[in-house]
Amino acid sequence: MSKYLLKPLAVASLLALAHPLAASAQDADAGEKVFRKCKACHMVGEDAKNRVGPELNNLLGRQAGTVPDFKYSKAMEAKGNDGLVWDDDTLSEYLENPKKYVKGTKMSFAGLRKETEIQDVIAYLKTFSEAAGTPAETESKAEEPAKNDEAAAAAEPVQTAAASDGDVLPKDAEVPDHGVFHLGRKALPDEVEAWNIDIRPDGSGLPVGRGTVAQGEVIYTETCAVCHGVFGEGEGRWPVLAGGQGTLEDDRPEKTIGSYWPYLSTVFDYVRRAMPFGNAHSLSDNGVYSVVAYLLYLNDVVTDEEFELSNENFASIKLPNEENFIADNRLEEPAYAAKEEPCMKECKPGPVEITMRARVLDVTPDSEDDSVGAGAIE
Amino acid sequence: MKNEETDNPRRNGEGLENPSRRTLLRGGVAAAGGAALAAGLAARGAGAAISQHADPLITDVQDWNRYPGDGVDARPYGLPSQYEKDVVRRDVPWLTADSKSSVNFTPLHELDGIITPNGLCFERHHGGIAEINPVDHRLMINGLVDNELVFTMEDLKRFPRENRVYFLECAANSGMEWRGSQLNGCQFTHGMVHNVMYTGIRVRDLLNEAGVKPEGKWVLAEGADPSLMTRSIPIEKMMDDCMVAFKMNGEALREEQGYPIRLVVPGWEGNMWIKWLRRFEVGDQPWQQREETSKYTDLLADGQARRFTWEMDVKSVITNPSPQAPITHGKGQTVITGLAWSGRGKIARVDVSLDGGRNWQEARIDGPSLDKSVHRFYFDFDWDGSELLIQSRAMDEQGFIQPSKDELRAARGTNSIYHNNGIQTWYIKQDGSAENVEVSS
Repeated sequence: MSKYLLKPLAVASLLALAHPLAASAQDADAGEKVFRKCKACHMVGEDAKNRVGPELNNLLGRQAGTVPDFKYSKAMEAKGNDGLVWDDDTLSEYLENPKKYVKGTKMSFAGLRKETEIQDVIAYLKTFSEAAGTPAETESKAEEPAKNDEAAAAAEPVQTAAASDGDVLPKDAEVPDHGVFHLGRKALPDEVEAWNIDIRPDGSGLPVGRGTVAQGEVIYTETCAVCHGVFGEGEGRWPVLAGGQGTLEDDRPEKTIGSYWPYLSTVFDYVRRAMPFGNAHSLSDNGVYSVVAYLLYLNDVVTDEEFELSNENFASIKLPNEENFIADNRLEEPAYAAKEEPCMKECKPGPVEITMRARVLDVTPDSEDDSVGAGAIE
Repeated sequence: MKNEETDNPRRNGEGLENPSRRTLLRGGVAAAGGAALAAGLAARGAGAAISQHADPLITDVQDWNRYPGDGVDARPYGLPSQYEKDVVRRDVPWLTADSKSSVNFTPLHELDGIITPNGLCFERHHGGIAEINPVDHRLMINGLVDNELVFTMEDLKRFPRENRVYFLECAANSGMEWRGSQLNGCQFTHGMVHNVMYTGIRVRDLLNEAGVKPEGKWVLAEGADPSLMTRSIPIEKMMDDCMVAFKMNGEALREEQGYPIRLVVPGWEGNMWIKWLRRFEVGDQPWQQREETSKYTDLLADGQARRFTWEMDVKSVITNPSPQAPITHGKGQTVITGLAWSGRGKIARVDVSLDGGRNWQEARIDGPSLDKSVHRFYFDFDWDGSELLIQSRAMDEQGFIQPSKDELRAARGTNSIYHNNGIQTWYIKQDGSAENVEVSS
């Protein structure tokens, strides 16, 4: 099977060699997909606003660090003042390794691994840049599409076939001796280690590491505050992380790490698992310890800025609301416990009155006001 | 925000935008309802029993009677008629901070029968839709097992398969209604539910393949999306009826439903049905993950919070008529229809009230009655054109009866967010339009 597939692979390589243009052709549609990686922080197009990162309209031809009202790193502003203007070449280099090209940039994105992704996303951004010569690019792409697609189509199956037929599970391998159906293969220690990152309240699963409140403040301010607020108060509808102690019986309870969450391990697990939103897994283990230490400080669980959280003292720290969690006892509620044959006639004393009408009569998305709200669902 | 008046609905549940600031609202529904009613009246003219003029739709030859349409190759994957283009999932953007960690709603008022079409099943993501090539997907089992294993999609499809129809309901369905009627449409009050036939394999077979050690009591299920969504599930449930599904309604899972595989946890809250499933870890205790501590726990009036409230309780809603689907035909023969479901088994009975719950009559359940699946009910009656307060009340095979919203509030307060299965009331006006209301008990 692999022999048979070698042929199109060779053709694909030849095509790529013979048509360097095809290999690096920019595809704005593909770029729109790549741009999803950027969307958590950047907006582009009509109504684009600065978010975690600056808006990207008219990026091509723009001097670096010059979008009004966006707070750039000093490094980016300096680069712009030194004459850095975003074009095909400068953007390509920046997107390949942002921190290398602009040392000290705020952009925490690690970079795009594939050259085609870089070219495609630039093509996409060009469609929002007046200064970019998009018509010419589109034409040159139009001349090549058939060959380009062929090359891609031919190359793809080869890779996947190699992956599933060759390296991972050879078809003619011996039948494994485990289980009932003898399906699957033994997981390798490195594989389990890569995915087995969950932490429990007893501290099991914690990596070796440490970080202080002060170190956490630096990371939090840089990475987390843009959504969660400088003091954990939550920007817009993003989750509030601090405060709210004593509000759980109020009309409007504020459920934060300090006021509601039962276990500190959940904070560590979740930050390492899924934060920062849009760039998960970018903090080191020590970085996570630091951020968690700072969150304890924001919630007054620790009060010393010198406090250091580590795998050694982690399990000894309790959150204040742990004891207020109880088991599911819904079935003890009167309506459930009764299990009576329901009333069918004259179940209410007299004619029924309307006591409340819908608050929101038309829930059609509202263009004027739909960026405001408090977040009913998280 | 700190100085809100007490009746400000802005923070219903975890918070709801104050509608008084949303100025367009009242005018909006009036216009929409009016258009629907006008269209209904026009249709009545043609369909009425006594007609003065011959209907040109009958007497004239129409374009579609004369000119051939598209051939078989024009629609390799068929889509609904152009006249159904408004039958779509919709969201309420101001409910959440970002569309990549948000929810939209199934248009229940446009559907019938018990199966939800794949493209209309509501979506709830925590890090956007992961796009995974199935040949790149792996499922790992690790932890307290004899053999830690890795499966490819090809491996998974070699286990014995089964087909089951189950509802999936988000625990926060109707969560905006705890403080009182809010959103005007059953798509928004009840649309975080769908009902699908899954094809997949038993989790039991997978766990047995790895060999669960005697001390293994819990399983952590984990997804491959950017939130690496996780939930702790007791081993008894996993061994009982949980599935790893790769097909929905006969075709591959949709990407937004977890392609290539998702966990099916029959009758239990939707958050546990991990999409883009990549790992089971067997352990001796629950992991207390974010989605089972800070979220999906039910805060009670006394400040305590219930956790591990997994089952979705008995519930029903009238889908037609409802605010998005007014009665347009005037008085006379009328069909009331809706859905009922319970995470604790089959639905035994559904009652309908036309007078706000004072008197009840048994509705007719039609279509398959399956365990932990939605049931379709109908109530056919002769409407005299007077105002109605319509409700439905479901009872499951274990004898649990759908409670009133007041009963739920008396037991829990108004800050629970999750598990609101209270009886819904629609106020039907003389013109056939409908509104979400609450009534005296």
